[in-house]
Amino acid sequence: MKSIKEMTQGELAAFIQSHLREKGIDVVLSGGASVSIYSSNRYVSLDLDLVNPYFAKRRALRETMQEIGFHEEGRHFEHPDTQLFVEFPPGPLAVGVEPVKQVNELKFSTGMLRIISPTDCVKDRLAGYYHWGDLQCLEQAVLVAQANRIDLEEIERWSEVEGKLDEFKRIRDQLTGRET
Amino acid sequence: MLEPILGSLNCERVLVFILARKEGYAREIARFFDTDLNPVQKQLEKLEVGGVLVSRTAGRTHLYSFNPRYPFLKELRSLLEKALSFYPEEESEELMMSRRRPRRRGKPL
Repeated sequence: MKSIKEMTQGELAAFIQSHLREKGIDVVLSGGASVSIYSSNRYVSLDLDLVNPYFAKRRALRETMQEIGFHEEGRHFEHPDTQLFVEFPPGPLAVGVEPVKQVNELKFSTGMLRIISPTDCVKDRLAGYYHWGDLQCLEQAVLVAQANRIDLEEIERWSEVEGKLDEFKRIRDQLTGRET
Repeated sequence: MLEPILGSLNCERVLVFILARKEGYAREIARFFDTDLNPVQKQLEKLEVGGVLVSRTAGRTHLYSFNPRYPFLKELRSLLEKALSFYPEEESEELMMSRRRPRRRGKPL
């Protein structure tokens, strides 16, 4: 097994998840780190958002993270051998108003990584763009959309549920790569 | 009104205030309900950690508002609106009717 110092972001997330799973704690990678993984690091995020959909107790998370050398710093966890820090946003696992139905599993040498799908990753980033006008979120959505097979019709349906169909139509071609 | 569900009177106060005013900060909320600052701050922090609220900084003030990405926001708003309709008329009017438009600095009135 690699040391934490040598692990990539995906490997570290898989390692942490596997360790938590042994203790009965199931978490799912979401947020910026999922963009990093789906964009082959064309976007770099230093935080690992491991969504805690079943509301595992903070104390259990703390104790389990301490076993693999992480210590709690406010709301996140740090390790002396990595710049990456880990957060456990509370559930539910959702994109906008809808629950995430499909979770992907990626196999790493350090364990199995449970991560939102590329389509949900695009939705997650678009939510930031739709609700806060955050252009970095849009850029990240485009990176993921162009590097992965995504379900554009599903993103359109979801955008409509979010009340953002007009915004989706405006950025649709960016997602498909027909416009930059 | 919602204390049995929310588990805290200050939690209800914070949520109802933000429903009515769109955003708010701890001192303003505590002052409105004539209550201590500390428990209001704690509720705001708890709701932010839970993803219900988001905050932004304006000068030295943390302004809180509903997180538009909170998946139960529509349902929460409905519940709070219903609760607000049960508030004494004077209190709900006072909550809703605050000056939100800008005021030029130095203007006497």
